[in-house]
Amino acid sequence: MNLTYNQAYSELSKLVDQIEDDKIQLDTLAEKVKQAKELIDYCETRLRLIDKDVEVALVDKKPKKKGK
Amino acid sequence: MPKRLRLSELIGEIDDVIQDRFAGETFWITAEITDVKKQADKRWCFLKFIEKEGNLIIAEIKGVFWSNSYSSVLQFEKLSGQTFANGLEITCNVRVRFHKRFGIDLEVLEIDHTYALGKLEQEKQQTLDRLVKENPKVIRIVDGQYFTSNKSLELPIVLQRIALVTAPDSDGQRDFKQEITNNPYGYAFLVTEFLTQIQGDNSSNLIIQKLKQIEAEKENFDVVAIVRGGGSQTDFKPFDDYELSKYVASFPLPILTGIGHDRNTSIVDLMARQHKTPTKVAGTIVEHNFNFESEIIELKDRLLLTTERMIDKAKDNLLQMKRTVKAYSPLTILNKGYAIITSNDQIIIDPKDIKPNSEIKTILKNEVIHSTVTKKSKNELDL
Repeated sequence: MNLTYNQAYSELSKLVDQIEDDKIQLDTLAEKVKQAKELIDYCETRLRLIDKDVEVALVDKKPKKKGK
Repeated sequence: MPKRLRLSELIGEIDDVIQDRFAGETFWITAEITDVKKQADKRWCFLKFIEKEGNLIIAEIKGVFWSNSYSSVLQFEKLSGQTFANGLEITCNVRVRFHKRFGIDLEVLEIDHTYALGKLEQEKQQTLDRLVKENPKVIRIVDGQYFTSNKSLELPIVLQRIALVTAPDSDGQRDFKQEITNNPYGYAFLVTEFLTQIQGDNSSNLIIQKLKQIEAEKENFDVVAIVRGGGSQTDFKPFDDYELSKYVASFPLPILTGIGHDRNTSIVDLMARQHKTPTKVAGTIVEHNFNFESEIIELKDRLLLTTERMIDKAKDNLLQMKRTVKAYSPLTILNKGYAIITSNDQIIIDPKDIKPNSEIKTILKNEVIHSTVTKKSKNELDL
């Protein structure tokens, strides 16, 4: 994941809006919640570590999720 | 043979004339000062007073502050936020002195601070007026407030890569870095230092050079901080410089200033985002990021709340459906004493389908009764 804070923030608010929308299907909820959690983790980690460290920390956390 | 005088005799006569004319009298003069040499340890200050016509000096005399009036120099610096230095125009009270060896000079008794400050304020206002007049696209004044391109730049949502312009080994540098490094939220920052002298002659040019270096790699920074410590050493002049102010006003990255002076606001402060002290600049940056994180946390809370609510609702729905299914289940009905009748393994809904003599099964709770229909009649149960 290589997003700016702006991108991460607007992506996250979009997801939360969608999730709050009553019409959302239960089976798509899980995927959206997962994406939202990843974005939150990304922002919180990046705020506390400078660039290079961020990549390492996020890769360590989710070793299987390289492609994203 | 003309009469020959000894040097000391001639000088003695000069001394007498000067004594006659000037002894015990003081004068107020307004003049430019130059060749200022301060000896802080002895509390002396030597200088020259000059008067110019164009570029030509038409009058010049030595001047001196002795220790009893030296405080006037210090007070000037404190009040004005400027070094007492060459090029200033001051009004002061002087006494004419003559020394048989060192000649004539003016001993300064006190400075008229109101005049000096007024003069500086006037110069500053001239610079501001010129900035507005010559850079209308970059600097505007509305209701006494200065609006510049730099001030209207939006701050990035998070400020993490900071270009720090300050003096090496200074209080400002230390205060800023301490506040940034020890921030209570544990945020990480990448501070790149651009160190330069920020007081005295030519400082404004040195600061411009550092800003140019930053501009050359502007994509590597979120924000620029220009800081200097407060303390007694207060020389504001570089920050009132026309060229530096103009550059700051149009600088492509947001600039936060912490130039550390309570009484005075420099022109550079007016062209950028002013935060008074290095500590305050650092604190503002940290809080800015905290505001961002707060929004993330709020989104996170909303997310958790919504998901919980949705899952609870789904559980409720499921439970409701289970109840309904159970209520309509044949088993439930049989338990209540009702029966199901089949004929040829078909559930009979309409009794017309059953003729006398046909074989039927009556399915009850635990057993099935096989029978042959002997008779049919109307249902007279009052249900």
